[in-house]
Amino acid sequence: MAQSAMTTRRSMSKLEKRNTLIAYSFLAPNFLGFIIFTMIPVVFSVVLAFLDWGGGAEIKFVGLGNFQEIFKNFSFTRSNLGISLKNTVFYTIATVPLTIAFALGLALVLNKAVRGANFFRAVFFFPYVASLVAICVCWNFLLMKTGPVNQFLNAIGFNMTKSWTSSQDLAIWAIIIVSVWRNAGYYMVMYLAGLQGVPNELYEAATMDGANAWQKFTKVTMPMLTPTTFFCTIMMVISCFKIYDVVAIMTQGGPGRATKMLVTYIFELSFGGEGIATSAQYGLASAVSMVLLVIVLAVTFVQFRAEKKWVNYM
Amino acid sequence: MKKLLAVLVAVMMVAMGACALAEEGTTLTVACWDLTTTPYYEAIKTAYEASHPGVTIEWVDLASQDYNVKTSTMLAGGDTTDLYAVKELSDMQNWAAQGFIVNLDEKIAESGMDMSKYAGMDTCYTYTEDGSYYALPFRADYWVMFYNKDIFDEAGVAYPTNDWTWDEYAAIAREITEKTGKYGTHYHTWLSDVANWAVCDGVNTLADGEYSDLKYFYELVQGLEDDGVCMTYDELKASNLHYSGAFAQGNIAMMPMGYWYASTLIGYIKDGTANFNWGITAVPHLEGVEAGASFGSPTGIAINAKSANIDAAWDFASWMCSEEGAKAIAETGTRPAYVSDEVAAVMASADGFPTDETSKAALLPTSIALEWPIGDGVNEIKTAVNETHTLIMTREMTIDEGIEEMEARAAEYITE
Repeated sequence: MAQSAMTTRRSMSKLEKRNTLIAYSFLAPNFLGFIIFTMIPVVFSVVLAFLDWGGGAEIKFVGLGNFQEIFKNFSFTRSNLGISLKNTVFYTIATVPLTIAFALGLALVLNKAVRGANFFRAVFFFPYVASLVAICVCWNFLLMKTGPVNQFLNAIGFNMTKSWTSSQDLAIWAIIIVSVWRNAGYYMVMYLAGLQGVPNELYEAATMDGANAWQKFTKVTMPMLTPTTFFCTIMMVISCFKIYDVVAIMTQGGPGRATKMLVTYIFELSFGGEGIATSAQYGLASAVSMVLLVIVLAVTFVQFRAEKKWVNYM
Repeated sequence: MKKLLAVLVAVMMVAMGACALAEEGTTLTVACWDLTTTPYYEAIKTAYEASHPGVTIEWVDLASQDYNVKTSTMLAGGDTTDLYAVKELSDMQNWAAQGFIVNLDEKIAESGMDMSKYAGMDTCYTYTEDGSYYALPFRADYWVMFYNKDIFDEAGVAYPTNDWTWDEYAAIAREITEKTGKYGTHYHTWLSDVANWAVCDGVNTLADGEYSDLKYFYELVQGLEDDGVCMTYDELKASNLHYSGAFAQGNIAMMPMGYWYASTLIGYIKDGTANFNWGITAVPHLEGVEAGASFGSPTGIAINAKSANIDAAWDFASWMCSEEGAKAIAETGTRPAYVSDEVAAVMASADGFPTDETSKAALLPTSIALEWPIGDGVNEIKTAVNETHTLIMTREMTIDEGIEEMEARAAEYITE
């Protein structure tokens, strides 16, 4: 077989060669862009994790020195890496299930032929396409000390005395709320597509068997949606580990280090920030990026391994 | 096709040659930021070109927020821009370490330049490894107190003087709020605005790992916040209110701020954004510290080691930091690093600057301490202290807890 494949390949006609070249030429612009702007930087940042580099001509190989430095005095309450790791994991664990729950809930409601379903689909999708900066600034106002959210909470008996973003305990929840609110609409669209794919016969059969609405949901809808849920979870976990933008706009990692995330920490080590003077340490920043890469790879790997246990493909 | 290309190349080469011929004398390129909104660049260029025929200054404008990243990348890539304005001290240290910029010791010795005229603002331009100068300061902003004369008049309170203490200041702020219902004072969210005053004595620094000297200032500010004399940190953070707009609204009586705000405020008065009479005084002082002591940070100029005109670049850099250069800078309402009586007179005569004697006298502080010293671990300590500052100001920690936290975190970097 291999032999014959080789012969066919060698005897590629002029026309075929031409077609192949044309195909490559169409691919080239994108592929070149990918190599220059993605592939090379990625490879370089892997190498950089083992170097001491301040941006200049002088590059020193330090082996695992950068990793020793960032893991020095490792602690989830004191060291920068420990704190940003803890915050990122907490944020991910809270955001993913909440987003899934809201997205699925919205999709179920809006999948029915209710009046104005299209209008509401657009409304819930809107946060995803709206300007992130505008969204975050608005939420900052909503969650202010004397903002509407706190006024409401005070009215129903809570005692809110400060802005959410000024509290070490609530600041991360402010980030989580904004992320869930923003992304639920996007994943709702995924679920809507998933729901279209559930054959009506299954519901009819379930009805014949006397299943009630809840049973239909847990025994038909949920299992049929597992591929969608799997896809959404993978995408969301990866994007949650990369959280940066909302933090940068709403809390800048504060108060103190309460919302410092892995990417926030990487950015601080590379480029600094207001009140942050630890910049131009590209080796250290790359070492933290490698930690992030390993975590995301591991989590994704585990998710794919677990896929067989709970995802149904019909 | 090939012929066409060859012709094109030939034409381009001739054109380039013609350009080179047309340009007699030297052109110096200088990397800077915010060219269009900072009037002194143009003033420096005009004054220097007038007194140095044959030399042309060309500013290379870079985006302010990316300035450090952009310049470091340019220098690393072998860029030949002759001079670089220094925005952050840590950048200068990094550039010196990488050999990007010229060691100025020889040039300074040859020209017999008297470094004491910079009143200490030059010391931070020495590289920590070899103690040599790698940049000169041309601008040095120090902190003063801005006040709204109209609100003082309304409250019937006498204008502040240059020899007041922090206790007197707090009492005046409270009195004004009581009498007018307006804000007695205003603090921006920065550590500099709230607690840096402890370094004015010239003995304490923020990198010494000992922060009990900040306690007085945190108590002062939080007391004023609690009494409604100033807006709270929490409000300012959540609403992203910038100090420049806040003071310009005209309902704030006093605001400690860097001298750079003077040119902004003059601009606001001219275009109608703000409409009141204002003045400046020296920042208040603690008992036992000399009146008129302040703190500040310089802006400097460094010479690219890859420049083809190092001598011409040195001539320009040293002129920019001399009395001549200082006057050109002062005319635009900006404070140069070298302030003689003559330069101060130029500053006071800037269009829109308050004419009272107190404001004029406030242009000559008795001493200026460096806002942050330079040295190993200072960047890490600065970050840690700033992060803890946010915890104290959001009241997530009491002042004592916060100071303990600052000391604990700074200790991680001092023992090394």
